[in-house]
Amino acid sequence: MSSSNTLLERRYAALGLMLIAPTVLVFCAVIIYPLVSAIYLSFFNIFTPTLEGEWVGLSNYTELLQTGQFWSALGNTLIWTIGTLSLQIIFGIAMALVLHQNIWFRSLARSLILFPYFISTVVAVLVWKWLFNDLYGIMNHLLISAGIIDFPMDFLGTMPNAMVSVILVGAWKYFPFVVIAVLARLQSIPDALYEAAKIDGAGPIARFFDVTLPQLREVLVVIILLRAIWDFKEFDLIFLLTGGGPINDTQTLPLLVYQEAFALNDMGRASAYAVVMMAIMLVFMIVYIRRTRSEGGS
Amino acid sequence: MTKRSILANSISRRTALQGLTATTALAAMPIRARAQSNATIRWWSPQASPAQVAAYEFQIAQFQALHPDITVVFETTSDEGYAPQLAAAFSSGEVPDIVTHLPSFAVQSYYANGLVEPFNDVIEAIGADDYFPGANDVFQAADGNYCGTGIGNSAANMMWLRKDLMQQAGIESAPTTWDEMRTAVTAMQTGGLYGAPLPYGANSMTSLIFIGFIHQAGGQVFSPDLEVAIDNEGTRNALEFYREMREFCPPGATNYSWGESLTAFVSGATATGIYTGRVLANVRDQNPSIADHITCVTYPRMSEDIAPWTFNDFPSVFIPAQSQQKDAAKLFAAFLFDPEGYIQQLHAAPGHVLPVLQSINNSPLYQDNDIIQKYAPEVELMAASAAGGYNLGYESADHASNEKAGEIIGSNVISELVQRVVLNGDNVDEALGAASATIEGIMQG
Repeated sequence: MSSSNTLLERRYAALGLMLIAPTVLVFCAVIIYPLVSAIYLSFFNIFTPTLEGEWVGLSNYTELLQTGQFWSALGNTLIWTIGTLSLQIIFGIAMALVLHQNIWFRSLARSLILFPYFISTVVAVLVWKWLFNDLYGIMNHLLISAGIIDFPMDFLGTMPNAMVSVILVGAWKYFPFVVIAVLARLQSIPDALYEAAKIDGAGPIARFFDVTLPQLREVLVVIILLRAIWDFKEFDLIFLLTGGGPINDTQTLPLLVYQEAFALNDMGRASAYAVVMMAIMLVFMIVYIRRTRSEGGS
Repeated sequence: MTKRSILANSISRRTALQGLTATTALAAMPIRARAQSNATIRWWSPQASPAQVAAYEFQIAQFQALHPDITVVFETTSDEGYAPQLAAAFSSGEVPDIVTHLPSFAVQSYYANGLVEPFNDVIEAIGADDYFPGANDVFQAADGNYCGTGIGNSAANMMWLRKDLMQQAGIESAPTTWDEMRTAVTAMQTGGLYGAPLPYGANSMTSLIFIGFIHQAGGQVFSPDLEVAIDNEGTRNALEFYREMREFCPPGATNYSWGESLTAFVSGATATGIYTGRVLANVRDQNPSIADHITCVTYPRMSEDIAPWTFNDFPSVFIPAQSQQKDAAKLFAAFLFDPEGYIQQLHAAPGHVLPVLQSINNSPLYQDNDIIQKYAPEVELMAASAAGGYNLGYESADHASNEKAGEIIGSNVISELVQRVVLNGDNVDEALGAASATIEGIMQG
């Protein structure tokens, strides 16, 4: 009986391994292999089209840490991430609060608010580029019509306009994610808490800061960590809007990786940038994992 | 519960796994392996306006009718995007089988790295004697082979003018020098109308156009033996003039590339333009009200003592060395010059891509086009200018072929120089020093 159980257990264990094997293989192919490959390539000076090159050890890392371009791109990445994430959180909470109210067409509004998040980044950027256009854009037309400016404003070609524009478009594109998550949490806050606060004489603002915000704390931490990771590695929106310009003032680390790999054809240096980026993102990920673990435990 | 028993009775776990494995293996089988009997050629080009794509489809249909065992698939790339796309294609081995309309310097760069198939036999098949004299010189590599051939010529920095606006502003003749140009755009720039759509963006157009300004000031980026020589008086004068011209360009010119610059002139937002002959078809289709008032000249230079310098990217045809369908691709490459299809392709953007074959240029079929007839002097001027044109890979007849030109353009070092001086107001010496050092690094890298 005992040996039969053991045999059955072994068979189940083997079956389990077989069933999990495809997942493990896919994971190795799309996560582990590129990761190890990037680390390996970062020790070489490699010409991208041929992938031929020579061992250079740590010189890609020492060079990138010595060049101003890396630090400038890191600075831009942080400005972009903090700027757009802050706006996403503010707009997202505000909109979630509005959609939580008993307003007309609430279901329709809840559906429409997701629109920016669902449309393709390429389409969104094309629309915004037209809105920002100096000659035909509605933004300049409105600003001139309202007498706010006399001449068209250059939204994407000068600083700080370019960075501000990119941050605003990023916030518009991604704030619906915050709306969804916050709205879900809002719906689960017990009404009794608000009633108790009202009895204690708390007004709407006090109720928001003393009841709503503390209740949203856990979900906001997760949203901020997730969105920080995603915004930190954002490529397409910035690349399509400004290409990293003017000069390199909106060039973030992902754009720098792309430029090194495919414009300058230096895959080794690009891999080094990517590995350093990954190390920075690892910090966010560790915080996120610890956070979700502690939540799971509690 | 019921579902589970049915499943358990009909299909064993082992059978299910075997089925899954077989399906996965079938799905993972390369398409190439399943289609070995037929050759499929992938054709890339950044020139893909609807009319051009229609012409390509015509050529493909004609070719496939002659060669039923070969299928040609057209795929679009872009002027700003081809370098990264091809770099990824070369490194992955998933290359197109034929590439057209890329600048000659890009082909030279790829050939120097062993990525391009010699093209001598295709040129012979097309008819080497039929080319305009010297048309293939720019494609001759250091080893004596041809790395590709021209599928056309282009005069990319022609100055486009509005005769009606010139007349209104009292400008009697087209400007030939920078002083005359400054006077003309000053007179023509009125409320809502800008003088010129010069590009100031961090992109290849700014780099390529500004290289023209350097030469129009008597300067050069490299010496004939390819020593970095961008830090010269001509470049300084060009930077100064380019900075002066900023006030005559739309505010958004700081982000302009080819499309925006073209649209600015065609839409009537600027009094002058800087582009190829694509202006002609776009004006006809998009703004016919100005069609009778436009003309073009070679772009003004600092003084009349300096010869005009026309930027010709020498739109090319080449075949990647990694292609698995080289023979079919060569057949198709030669067929692209078959008169009926080639003329249709040229007519898709009349004056934009100009013929490289004398027999085509002289053909009544080619001349029988409303735009080519209406703007005959302009087309003739563009053809002559393009024939004597240059680019960074071929700065002058005295210059050696520069295999690093593509990477220099791709690095945006020259457009960054323009932006630093014009937009940031950086010190010219420092900006030029930094640009020289970056170019030097690319040359040595």
